[in-house]
Amino acid sequence: MLKGSATKKRLFGFIILGWILLLISDRIGELRQYQGAFVAMYTLAIASIILLTGYSGQLSLGHSALMAVGAYAGALSINNFKLHPVIALVIAVLIAGIFGLLLGYAAARLSGPYLAGTTLALAVSLPTIANQFPVLGGEQGLVFDIGTPPARFGEDFSQYQWFFWISCLSALIMIWFLVNLLSSRYGREFRALRDNPTAAQLAGLNIGRQKALAFSLSAGIAGLSGGLLVMLISGVSPSAFPLSLSFLLLAGAVVTGVYSLKGVIIGALVLVAIPEIAESVVSRIGGSEGFTTSLPGFMVSSLLILAVLFAPNGPGHLLHKKSTLNIKDNSREGNK
Amino acid sequence: MIRNTRMKRFSIVSVVATVGALVFSTLPAQAADPGVSAKEIVLGYSGPLTGSAGQVYGKLPGAMKAYFDHINANGGVYGRKIKLVVRDDKYLPTLAATQTTNLVLNDKVFALVGALGTATHSKAYAAASLAKKNVPDLFVNTGFSGFADKAKYPTTFTILPSYAMEAKIMAKFIKDTPTLAPQASFLIAQDDEFGVDGVNGFKLAGHTFAAPATLYPQGGLSAALAEGALTKLSAVPGKPVLVLFGTTDSTATILKAAEKLSLVSKFNWIAGSVGGDANTLLALGVKPATINGILAASFFPDAKDATDSYVSAFTSINTKYNKGVSFDNVVLQGMNSAMLTVQSLRAAGKNLTRTGLIKAIESKGAGFASAGLVPLNFSGSSRVGYNGYWFGQLNEKGELKPFGGKLTTYTTDSSSTSAPTASSYERKPVPKNGVPTNS
Repeated sequence: MLKGSATKKRLFGFIILGWILLLISDRIGELRQYQGAFVAMYTLAIASIILLTGYSGQLSLGHSALMAVGAYAGALSINNFKLHPVIALVIAVLIAGIFGLLLGYAAARLSGPYLAGTTLALAVSLPTIANQFPVLGGEQGLVFDIGTPPARFGEDFSQYQWFFWISCLSALIMIWFLVNLLSSRYGREFRALRDNPTAAQLAGLNIGRQKALAFSLSAGIAGLSGGLLVMLISGVSPSAFPLSLSFLLLAGAVVTGVYSLKGVIIGALVLVAIPEIAESVVSRIGGSEGFTTSLPGFMVSSLLILAVLFAPNGPGHLLHKKSTLNIKDNSREGNK
Repeated sequence: MIRNTRMKRFSIVSVVATVGALVFSTLPAQAADPGVSAKEIVLGYSGPLTGSAGQVYGKLPGAMKAYFDHINANGGVYGRKIKLVVRDDKYLPTLAATQTTNLVLNDKVFALVGALGTATHSKAYAAASLAKKNVPDLFVNTGFSGFADKAKYPTTFTILPSYAMEAKIMAKFIKDTPTLAPQASFLIAQDDEFGVDGVNGFKLAGHTFAAPATLYPQGGLSAALAEGALTKLSAVPGKPVLVLFGTTDSTATILKAAEKLSLVSKFNWIAGSVGGDANTLLALGVKPATINGILAASFFPDAKDATDSYVSAFTSINTKYNKGVSFDNVVLQGMNSAMLTVQSLRAAGKNLTRTGLIKAIESKGAGFASAGLVPLNFSGSSRVGYNGYWFGQLNEKGELKPFGGKLTTYTTDSSSTSAPTASSYERKPVPKNGVPTNS
């Protein structure tokens, strides 16, 4: 009963959030809509890393490759089979998930730096592999065009608003699914796997299967994020998924707090806002070209250091800690 | 108590969401034609400033800015000063898309100018909705013939001759040159629209290479790959013709590999216009002796030719407004694009609109003064800038001298099998003080 009630509340919360986003989308300009779509896309990508690293204890340095798998699957679905963009995004999730499952089984015996090295190698090599297959469009890649927004939304409904809706809806549905999953038996098993694999195995868990499952789920979410990314830039190509993207997402996950999904949006907001903040700083105080181009990286690095020093488990954990303290205080007052 | 805490949390979330909505909703409404006022015209540039491509092309926006500063110091365009907003895309499609979108939506530029890169700009064009917003996309620095498709890119005007044109003229040059014609020829090209366009041009010209082209990913030519390709080709008898169809950093990688393997004299080297900039090759560490004798195509005068009136005028502007930056082909290209932009803005008249600007280039663009030694090809049906090349030979100083001592320019198109023809084009004199006065 209690579980059912919590799930309903969660669903209600996500519907409210979706409704608020719908209202916001009508009131903001095209730039904010575009940036909002990027925030939703990064939210998904960071959530996929948190699921893999924070919950199941597997380190991935090659998430950009998993995003690329989903992106190419989506683009091929649209270009070759003329499928609806929503179906193409579902296919992106499925294909990336299957790819992740295979990779997860292959990497099930690896952990720590060995797994990190394997995923890193994947991220480095995948763009080159993509270049070898003409069906993937070589270096110039493939067009990912979801077409114009439906006419029933009116003439004022811009392409960017359409992007915003699709990205936010995808992120809401997937995060809702993820939150429910992590509060279920699977979430507990993942955490057991992370905290003490030997104890988890002694308790009867199939470690290899759980690792592969976590990898598959994480890859599926990353695939959706990749599909959304190439929707936002209108095309998929190997150079859209550089190694630096993997590191950027990892930085976003650390800022968010890798052990909790609470506040996952903060990491995404940071990734989108930092370049803009850096630009406004440069435009106010001036500076050389070198300063301008290196400032965003410097700001992200500083934020990472601050996060590790003051909020190693992320701002979401801090809020949770504070609210727990409040509950305890309130309980004490009640006992008096 | 727990219920109260949850209520508090819910209230906080609601307040944050409402405040967020209010903050987002305070943005001003967009004007009909942004980026132009009585005092200012805001233009935008997105291209590589950092990374390997930035090393070569990073000077481009600085050169354009310098020329615009010169125009601003001379009264601007009908009293309006030109402001150029520059954004770094690191030659990455994702960044190109977001930076170009930022230029349009955030910086509210009137037009884009000089965007660089085929794979990057093709994605940026769609992502930033340039066609739908009718944003003029002036003098794009790529020879990809796809950008000439007016239906797909209705606001784009390219500046470089297409790579297909270049390949056709190269094929004619090889065929007409007695020392090259009998030799086996090979192609090493960038595997994107750039290289593929070139391969198609050679096909149109009926040129057959002795082996399939060696293609490498954009920005992905490693020294090992270059050495492997050259080692393989070194077994070919005679002095094979080796055509390099890539960016200058890739040409430098190949030439340095040839130096390492002592194969410089083994080949007849032909570098494309994009990859044959001698100053950049020297700056990237290629030995002067290596570039001596390399054949290269160009549509500009040599940037080291101080006797050329355009080079002389641009060099003066560069010295005054672009301090500390050496004058080379990239700077020449940037200043030339900026000068064409100023002429376009003037041709559009005092009542400047985006539609008016596009129409002005269509109707008057072919007659603009420009440093190019081949004609501009703008018209109601053509969005291609230059449509020809001349062939020269580099010397140790990095100067490009006409091959055989006589400068002959050829013009052609991108799609037919017709052979390139010699051109009698004579360019317009450089505007007085480098400031156009057209209308």
